[in-house]
Amino acid sequence: MNENMVNMMNALEDQAIVDPRSGPIAMRLNNVSVAFNGRMAVRDVTFDVPANNVTALIGPSGSGKTTLLRSLNRLHDLTKGAKVTGEILLGDEDIYSGGIAPTVLRSRIGMVFQRPNPFPTMSLYDNVVSGLRFNGVKKKSILDAAAEESLRAAALWDEIKDRLKAHGSTLSGGQQQRLCIARALAVEPEVLLMDEPTSALDPIATQKIEELISQLKARVTIVIVTHNMQQAARVSDLTAFLLMGEDRAGEQIEVAPTLKLFSQPDDPRTMDYIQGRFG
Amino acid sequence: MTQITSSSEQITSGEIRAHLRERSAATLRRRIFVSKVMTVFCWAAIVLAAIPLVALLLRLFVKGIPVLLKSGFFTQLPQQPTLFDQTNTGGVSNAIIGTIAMIVYATLASVPIGIIVGIYTAESDSKFASVIRVIASTMVGAPSILMGLFAFGVIVVQLKLGFSILAGSFALSVLMLPVLISSTEIAVRNVPTTLREAGLALGAKPSTTSLRIVLPAATTGIVTGAILAISRAVGETAPILLVIGGAYAITWKPNDPGSALSVSMYQDVSSSYDSLRDQAWGIGLLLVLVIFVLSFAARIWAARKQKVQR
Repeated sequence: MNENMVNMMNALEDQAIVDPRSGPIAMRLNNVSVAFNGRMAVRDVTFDVPANNVTALIGPSGSGKTTLLRSLNRLHDLTKGAKVTGEILLGDEDIYSGGIAPTVLRSRIGMVFQRPNPFPTMSLYDNVVSGLRFNGVKKKSILDAAAEESLRAAALWDEIKDRLKAHGSTLSGGQQQRLCIARALAVEPEVLLMDEPTSALDPIATQKIEELISQLKARVTIVIVTHNMQQAARVSDLTAFLLMGEDRAGEQIEVAPTLKLFSQPDDPRTMDYIQGRFG
Repeated sequence: MTQITSSSEQITSGEIRAHLRERSAATLRRRIFVSKVMTVFCWAAIVLAAIPLVALLLRLFVKGIPVLLKSGFFTQLPQQPTLFDQTNTGGVSNAIIGTIAMIVYATLASVPIGIIVGIYTAESDSKFASVIRVIASTMVGAPSILMGLFAFGVIVVQLKLGFSILAGSFALSVLMLPVLISSTEIAVRNVPTTLREAGLALGAKPSTTSLRIVLPAATTGIVTGAILAISRAVGETAPILLVIGGAYAITWKPNDPGSALSVSMYQDVSSSYDSLRDQAWGIGLLLVLVIFVLSFAARIWAARKQKVQR
């Protein structure tokens, strides 16, 4: 490689890598730990989630990615023996301080799960507006508008607009997952958590969801758990790499802009992981 | 290690392969033989198990169908045969009405309570819930005459309500309760956690999630369980035998003494007249048909519901 090229690449990389955290921040995690019955599952995670960006949580199985993600919308609240410590700020409110009710919090921080989970007894339409209804919205004009708007945002409107009364089971896996995304978007969350949203889908459906993620970040801050590193590289702006520590608790190894983390990570363990030496 | 190396030097890979082929052929021959023997055993067991069942059904139909076809079986009151007219048995209309009345009252009383308690035990982690769970699963296996004794003690003796349809329904509803609690609990627990989480993640309260997501998804299982509990109660004899009174009149009134198909069958079997003992087969067939229709309906309903949801 001649010197010119090296200089050019360095210049390119220096230019390309803008830390998304230099902009507005949607959520801040300060020394977040999660324990189940006194046993640490995630320890001392600290990083900022940049607004209107995609933050990916990557790491091998058991590194606590999903556990960490579920602490962000207080989904551990209903697990006996689960305890979240540290500080998680949404804007400048501590979500565990009691100032914000869990139900309100969860409508501000939506979630999409690993397997598509449309409500089996509800029609497609009822699925999409269910979150609004649970929160007391009854006006049909508002429900209709929200249904169409969020189905359009989830790139599903054109495919199902003629059969909104059908059941969720009539859709393909990828469509079901987009239905779940629409359902989450309908309550207008500020942050959308996605827990390996494509792990149950085929490559084409996966690609559609990934395209959707890139479109959605203009509207909502996204935190996505994935164990597919290519996916993290493709869709995210910031990547947090977690690894299981010696006592089997997940630890944060490195948080960096995705381009940097995948090209010149600071920690050798990150390099090992992205080069596929373990995991 | 050194020993393994030295011995492996003497055996070539070709020899290993030849030996493996030979052994695997022998193993296969042995497996095929064992498989044939086991198949014969399986068939023998199936035939052995089927003989009593098929024999029972055959006899039930052969003896029962003429009784069901006899005029007046469904519409007449029972008659006592006499020495001069030994075939005059009348019908079992009072027992049919009595059974229907008791089942209706017992269902009305036990199904709502059983379902509510079942939902509670499924949703709650409390000590109290686990106590109920243990009691329910024990009572499912309790001898059913115990419910009759209990109904006798409470309704007939203590509350002085007399031998009555009410007392029979009470015994049956106590019998059905644990079945309903257990089947409802299982149905609710079988709803995938991810559905509940999806509801919570949309900002729904836990109670809203239970009522509007989990319960509708569990309906199929709950209703199927209820139908099976009812069909179990239809054929029960012991619990009502002690308390029903055995009246030869058609009545729906809870505080009247009544009759029931299973109890009539019991009485007919103990009769000295052939005609009455034959009639018992007819009642038996009628009960089996009713139970068959109920459980068949439960299956069809569950399958259709499932199809809609999948």
